[in-house]
This record gives sequence, C-alpha cells and structure tokens, in this order.
Amino acid sequence: MKRIVLVLIICLGFSCSNLVADDAPLAHATFVPQWIPQAQFAGYMMALEKGFYKDLGLEMEILRGGPSNPPIEALKSGSATFCTAWLSTAVQQRCSGLKLVNLAQIIQRSALMLIARKSRGINALIDLNGRRIGLWQGDFKIQPDSLFKLQHLNVIEVPMYSTVNLFLKRAVDVISAMWYNEYDTLLNSGFSQDELTTFFFSDYGLNFPEDGIYCLEETLKEKPEVCKSFVQASLQGWMYAFNHQDETINVVMRCAEAAHTGTNRAHQMWMLARMKDLILPVGNKTILGALDEEQYKLVTTTLLSLGLIDNPPLFEDFYRSQK
Amino acid sequence: MRTKFRSSLALKLAVFVLCGSVAVFSVVLLYSYIYSRQIILDEGKGKALNLALAMSRKIEQQFIAVHKLPKSLAGFLESSTFDQKTLSRVIERMVSDNTEIYGMAVAFQPFGFEKNLKAFAPYFYKTGKTPKYCDLSNSKYNYFHQDWFHIPVELKAPVPSEPYYDEGGGNILMVTYSFPFFYHSDDGKRLGVRGVVTADVSLEWLSKLMKEVNEDRKGFCFVITDTGVFVTYPNFNYVMRESVFSVAEENNNPELRKVGLQILHSNTGFLDVGTSFCAQDSFLAYSKILSTGWTFGAIFPKDVFFAEVERLHRANLLISLVGVSMLALLAVLVARSIARPLKQMAGAAKKISMGDLDIKLDATHRSDEVGILAQSFTQMAEGLKERDFIRDAFGRYVTQEVVNRLLQSHDGLKLGGEIRDISMMMSDIRGFTALTSNMKPEDIITLLNRYLGKMVDILLDFRGIIDEIIGDGILSFFGAPEPLEDHPERAVACALRMQEAMAEINSTNIQDGLPSLEMGIAVNTGNVVVGNIGSNKRIKYGAVGPDVNFTGRMESFSVGGQVLVSQSTFERLSHILEVKDVLQVEMKGFEEKVNLYDVVGIRGKYNVAIRDREEVFRALIRPITVTYCQLSQKTVSSRGTLGTLREVSQREARITCPERIAQWENIRIILHDEKGEIPKAVIYAKVISAEEACDFYHVTVHFTSVSPQALHILQEAV
Repeated sequence: MKRIVLVLIICLGFSCSNLVADDAPLAHATFVPQWIPQAQFAGYMMALEKGFYKDLGLEMEILRGGPSNPPIEALKSGSATFCTAWLSTAVQQRCSGLKLVNLAQIIQRSALMLIARKSRGINALIDLNGRRIGLWQGDFKIQPDSLFKLQHLNVIEVPMYSTVNLFLKRAVDVISAMWYNEYDTLLNSGFSQDELTTFFFSDYGLNFPEDGIYCLEETLKEKPEVCKSFVQASLQGWMYAFNHQDETINVVMRCAEAAHTGTNRAHQMWMLARMKDLILPVGNKTILGALDEEQYKLVTTTLLSLGLIDNPPLFEDFYRSQK
Repeated sequence: MRTKFRSSLALKLAVFVLCGSVAVFSVVLLYSYIYSRQIILDEGKGKALNLALAMSRKIEQQFIAVHKLPKSLAGFLESSTFDQKTLSRVIERMVSDNTEIYGMAVAFQPFGFEKNLKAFAPYFYKTGKTPKYCDLSNSKYNYFHQDWFHIPVELKAPVPSEPYYDEGGGNILMVTYSFPFFYHSDDGKRLGVRGVVTADVSLEWLSKLMKEVNEDRKGFCFVITDTGVFVTYPNFNYVMRESVFSVAEENNNPELRKVGLQILHSNTGFLDVGTSFCAQDSFLAYSKILSTGWTFGAIFPKDVFFAEVERLHRANLLISLVGVSMLALLAVLVARSIARPLKQMAGAAKKISMGDLDIKLDATHRSDEVGILAQSFTQMAEGLKERDFIRDAFGRYVTQEVVNRLLQSHDGLKLGGEIRDISMMMSDIRGFTALTSNMKPEDIITLLNRYLGKMVDILLDFRGIIDEIIGDGILSFFGAPEPLEDHPERAVACALRMQEAMAEINSTNIQDGLPSLEMGIAVNTGNVVVGNIGSNKRIKYGAVGPDVNFTGRMESFSVGGQVLVSQSTFERLSHILEVKDVLQVEMKGFEEKVNLYDVVGIRGKYNVAIRDREEVFRALIRPITVTYCQLSQKTVSSRGTLGTLREVSQREARITCPERIAQWENIRIILHDEKGEIPKAVIYAKVISAEEACDFYHVTVHFTSVSPQALHILQEAV
C-alpha cells in the first residue's frame, strides 16, 4: 500500500514539474558561490546538472566565484540573484545596511581550524603563544580573534591569502585552514595527520555555521517562488550529491578543470565527504537547511563582543526559511 | 610403462640422464639468472642514479641561470635611484635579452615606489618579438596577495614559488623566482622590504626536456615539487593537479604515499617501487633539484631494466632445452647402442644354449667394452664351434688335453689336408671273428669293450689319435694333428704297452669264462696325407696314403702278442729297439722281401719291454688228430685236411700235415677225440713256419685264439 502511494506521489511530482516546465516560461536566476568551483558547492552543481532547478521552473546560471568575484558585491550589483556566504559575513553585511536574508543555512558546523606543526612543539592551545600564525583576513579572522581573546593568547599574525604555501615554506608555524580543503592539501603535500596539531573552532565554543544561501530581501519579496524553488532544488542537489558521490565528483572535476583550479579527484572526494559531515552533522538535531537560533545568537554575540556589529538583526527578520 | 622402464636399459639411462641434466641445468640457470640479475641491478642502479643526477643538475643549471637575473636586478634596485621609465627599460631589456626568462616584474610594497602610489608592479613578458608591458597593480589581480610576492616578503628571503597558472600574466604554467629587495638606512643597514623582483620561467622547456628524455627510453620521467605535486608527468592531467599523495589516496595506494615521503625526505635514491607508480613493476631513481627543492624522478620498468637479462636468460633456457634434448637423445642412442648388442648377445646366448653356434653380432667391430664383450662372445662361440668340430673330427677318442692343445696352438687348427710325417699303428685281435662266431652278442660286446677300453686308454696316454675302430681293429697314429717329435718312439712304446696289457685283459676274460685274446700290432712311420675327411654332416680327422695301407698289410703278418715294426720306423729307432727277430715277408707291390722287425722292447724315456715269448714245446702223451682248413680273407674254407698235433707250447703247436701250408697262412684247427671232430674245440692259428720232411710237412702254428674246450683238451693231453 505504502509503495503504491509512493509511486503515485512520484508520478504526481513528475507530472506537476512537467506542468510547470511546460506551461510557465522558466524564470532566469543567477547564483554565485563564495569561492572557486569545488565540492564545497557540489549540491548546486548537481541541482543544475540533474535539472532540479529546471524541474522547479528555474533557468539557473551558476557564476564562477572566487577572489575576483566577491559574492556580496555580486548581490549588491545585481549580477547574482543568490549567493552563498558565511553567517558571520551576512550578519555584518545586514548590520551595515545591506538588506540580505538567509534563505537556508547549509553548513551547520564550522570547518574553520588552525593547523600547527607538531615538530615545532605545538601540541595545545597554549603553545600558540608568541607564534607566527598565518591567518586569512576578513571574516575568517573573527573566530581566531575571538579565540585568542578568550584564551588570552598573544600571537604574531601574518596575513595569509589563497594558498598554504606560507606554511609549507615555513614562513609560519600555524595557519588557518578549512577542514574540507587546506587540511587535506597539507595531507597531500606529504604531511601525515600525526605530524599536525589541529584546533577546530567548533571545539572551543566558536561553532559558527558557515555557508548559507542569501539573497536580497527585495528579491525574496518580489520572487518568493523563485527563492523557494532555488532553495528546494539546491537542497535536493545536496542530497543527490551525498547519495551519488562518484557521479558528483565527475561533475565537480569538470567544473574545476574548466576553471583551471588545479585540483584533483582525491581532494574533491575528501571535500565532499567533509561537506556531508558539516551539512548533516551526526547527532545534531538541526534539520537540513535550517538555521538554528542558538547558533545564530552565538555568532551575533561574538560579533558584538568583538565590536564588529552594534545592533544584531532579529532572527525572524534575518532567517526566512523556504521550507 | 613401469615394467617397460624396469626392463629397458635405454629408457632408464635416458630418463636418468634427462633428470640429471635438467637438474644441473636448472641450478646453473637459476644461479646465472639471479647472479646476472644482481649484476644488472647494480649496474643499472648506478646508471639510473646517474641519469637522475644528471637530469636534476641540468634542470638546476637552468634555474640557476634564471636565478642570477632577479638577484642582480634586486641588487641594482637597492643601490640606485630610478624613475618609472628607467625601471621599465631595465626590466624590458632583461626580458628581451634572456631567452630563458618568460617575464619579469618589480613589484613594490604598498607605497614602496612612490608615497602616493599604493601599488606599483611593472611587468614585462614575452609575446611575439618584443616584450609586452603590463602593470600588475590592476584591481582584479591583487599582487599583494600572491604567493610570489607575499611569501618572500614574509620570509625576507628569495623564494621559488610553487608552479602556478598565472591568470594575471601569461596564463601558462610558470614558476616564479622572487627576490625581495630592501630599504637601507644611510649607514647601509638593511631595513624593511621595499618590493620583490620576480622572474617567471615558463615550465614548457622542462616539459620539453622531459619529453626528450622520455623519448629515448622506456619508462618515464617526472618532476615533483617539495610537496609532492607533479610539475611534469606523462599524464598531463596530473600536472599541478595531483600530488604523489593525492594519487596515492585516490587509488588507495599507501605504498605510493610511502614512496612519496621517502622522495621528499632524501636527496637521491633508488627504490623498488613495485607497481605503486604505474601498472608495470618498476624501479625509481630520483634526485633533488636543490635550488627549488623539487625532485626529478625516473621510472624504470623492471622488464626493460632486466630486458637483457631476460633475453640472455631466454637464450640460456633455449640452449639448455636444446642441450637437454640432445643429451637425452644422445643418452637414448648410447643406451641403445649398449642395450641393442646386449639384447643381440642375449639372443645369441639362447641360440648357443640350443646348440646353434652360428651367431653373428654387429658390435664386434666396436673397440669399447661392448665391442670387447661381443668379440669375446663371438670368440666363445667360435671356440665352441671348434671344440664341436674337433669332437666331431676326433670322436670320443681324443683327450681333453689334446683338444686344449689343438685349440691353443694355431698350427693344430689347420685341419685341412696336408702331408705329415707320422707314425701309424694297426692292431687287431687274432681270429676274433672266428673266436666269437658262437658267442652270445652281449658277451661279444663285453669282450670287445673291455679290450677296446683298455687299448684306447693306453693310446690316449701316448697321445695317439684314433683314426678308426672297426670291430676289434684299431687304426691310430701319432704326430698329427698335434706335432710330436718323438712319434715313432711313442708309437712303438704304446704298442708294447698295449701288448703288455693283454695279459691283464685275458686274466679277467678267463675269470668271466670268456676266451683269452691275442693281439697283433704293426707300427709304421711315413709321410701320409692327414686332414678332415668326410662331409659337412659327418667329418673325421684321418690319414690316407700308401703307408696307411702298408701298415694294415703289415699287421696281417703279426701273430698274437707280437709288435711288428716297419723298416722306416726301425731306422729311426734302431738304437733303442730290442728286436727279437726280423721277418722277411713278401708283400703285394714290393718286388723284394720286406723286413719286419719283431720288437720286444724299447729303451729310452719310455723303456717298455714285453715278456719273452720263447716257446717251450712239449710232446703230447697221445698225439691228437686235428682237422685244419685255411682261412681266406677271414672266412673258413670248406675243405678240411686231417693232421696230427704232436707238440704244444704256451701259444704254439707243431702239426704234422700231409700237405704243404704256406707261411703266414691263417688256419682253423678242430680237435678230434675217438669219435671224431669235437665241434667246440677250435683253435685259430697262423702258420709261422713249414718244413718239409719225407712225405709230410712239419708246420709250426701260432695260436690266435683257443676255445676253452680246446684249451682243456690240450692241457689234458700234456
């Protein structure tokens, strides 16, 4: 009986999407991820690849992200309808007047971490005192700054840009890294896990939800269906990506190669696996795509304490669930 | 099969040789394989390391050459003042003058060039004939954030960058050498970093160089950075995308990760990387390019590496196989060449055992042991054949000794006809036919065998050859086929010995109730033809010639107990012979009378003498009437004449006859009693003298045989 119902639902679903596709002209929308093409954005790639956007009446265009195309700027300029951004970034932007709203919180757990060479005698947080630490600038610095402040650590900050070469060339003993990206890059540069000491900010009370889907409040008001469809199709894309990893990596690699990112399959496999850990954390009660109010408060409180914002937006104003 | 194996020498030998040689060849091959592999490995290892070193040096040279330019420019910038124009000219000049440089930039720290200019980074790069200019300080390409700028500034030291795709510059894979240049205090002290001089080297030359190297050899070469990232690799997809470690992870190949770590942590090395690098089992030689920390690696597939050994080994294997096969074949041939004659000989032995001595062996021409065996075998058969032949030719009447001597002496074997000087002997029982005419056949045989047995023994003792035994007569000779120098002496001595033996035979005969026998013997010496006489089926060694016939005739003149010797024999032995009498007899074919010597003894080495036969006659008390008749050719003539027997001795008697009887005539005498002839009282005798007196004749006869009845009557009468 259950099966029949399921089949009916699927059939209905198909016919509905077909109806939408056939009857209404596709709504054009653009999306810019906050970084270069990689498995961090596999869900969106797969939603496009598998036609999930199209099924929901969207003609999506995914723009190439990266340092040369900051997503908030793209949103501001109107070149992108949607973007992904860190929660901390988005909150600051809203506080500074940009009316953007969170449509879905994708990454629930913070992947930001510090990595240190064990061989330089760094085994615990306290050992970071007086060290040269390569730190990404901007919003990547919020958690480290907060941590150093809370733990009363005096570190020598060295600005760090795209690569981990600062660490590899021994210009610094510690660097900031994303669990899904730079950590694996170091492992693939000949470091073994036991040669590295890792500090996950999520372990030190600084678990900031990261990538979320954002658009301007205006867009949500004008095209609520488009926003809803984008979120739903994107989430469907993520589920598809987690359930079809090999196929997904093929798509990711194709996109990465087109952008000359110089990555490799093993790295993207690692990244996709970590994405699943971050998007669907084990033992976390949060459902897929939802923003947890407590975590939101953690971020706003931290931003307030560092003096980065004055007046945090109301949770209800900021988060506009599309479920 | 098992039985065949057990029973076949050839198969056994072949199998053993095959197994043995296979074992030996295997050990030798294995040893040579391992040893040659080790040699090749040692040698190849040296060569591979040399290649890696040479290549890393070559790459290093290229880098060092590039190194010098930004360094000297940095030096110039630190020591001079310059404006935009001068700076641009210098950079442009350097790029256009140095082929290995793809592009050069002088990038200043914020406000490093001019106080009101935040970013300034003139860059010249090659496209077409003249270097093209661009300022890297455009908004999109934030050079402050690029590794080539940022890291040397942080390190305050020159740094070769990781290879990268430079979007702002040439959009090709490059490596950039970055030299920071500094502010200096007035006293020349180095202060902060003012900017960075860079030189971009396109890595296309490196790819080309690697391609050239790869073309010349099987296997491939690659370059990896100090983090294991592939800078060049045959699979272009790896370049700047994959590291040794990512490939290891993707392929779930922990061995490769180990190899990668080993490469990064040592300067040069030679590793057995198995199949971790590529599908083929391979070796890796690597050497570090010191100025960049990169590593040049060369993969040597083992099958290529050991190709020569494998080739050699295959050739060895082939040669061994051929060798083993040939050995096996040879073993079979040798074994067969041994086994076949053996088989043939076994067959021949069987044939011989069945009495067929006509064997033919193929192996007799061979000079080896088998040949010797076959020769011996043939000789044995030949010997048996000769023995058989001798047996056939001489009958039973030849001693083993003589046979051996004949077989041993080459002359003795010449049994064909030849004229030889020999002595012949003819003996005969006097009146045997008549004597035995009324005897039972078994008694006759007993009598004859006893007599012949003894005579043959004596003859063989004296090395006489028995030519013929006809009834009671024996023809024998001495001096052939075995040459005997003293054959006349032997013949005479033998004859005397035979006469001597008669006494013994007769005493046995009398005991058995058989008649006593008297034997006459004639000995003659002369040249006769001796040889094998007869046909293939029946052959006999014998003598023919007038002298043989003469001997026979001589014998007929002898009386019992007498040995008559011819003139020719006598002449040779006159000095040792004891002659009792010389008989002069007439003989057919001789015009004059022939002398026959009645010999009673011989001196010398044989020294035989017979008892004197001097007869003592005794007159009978009452003369006995007898009927006598002449025997002609040993048959009794029917006509009988009456006579009177008056005197008798041991072997002789004197008879008075009305008619003359010729000397040497054989006669039969039948004794009478009052009633007339007594049929069983018969005497055979030979007339030895006849004298005429008035109207009658006195005749002396020599008994050749006396019947028991006659003997009894004579004894009674004396």
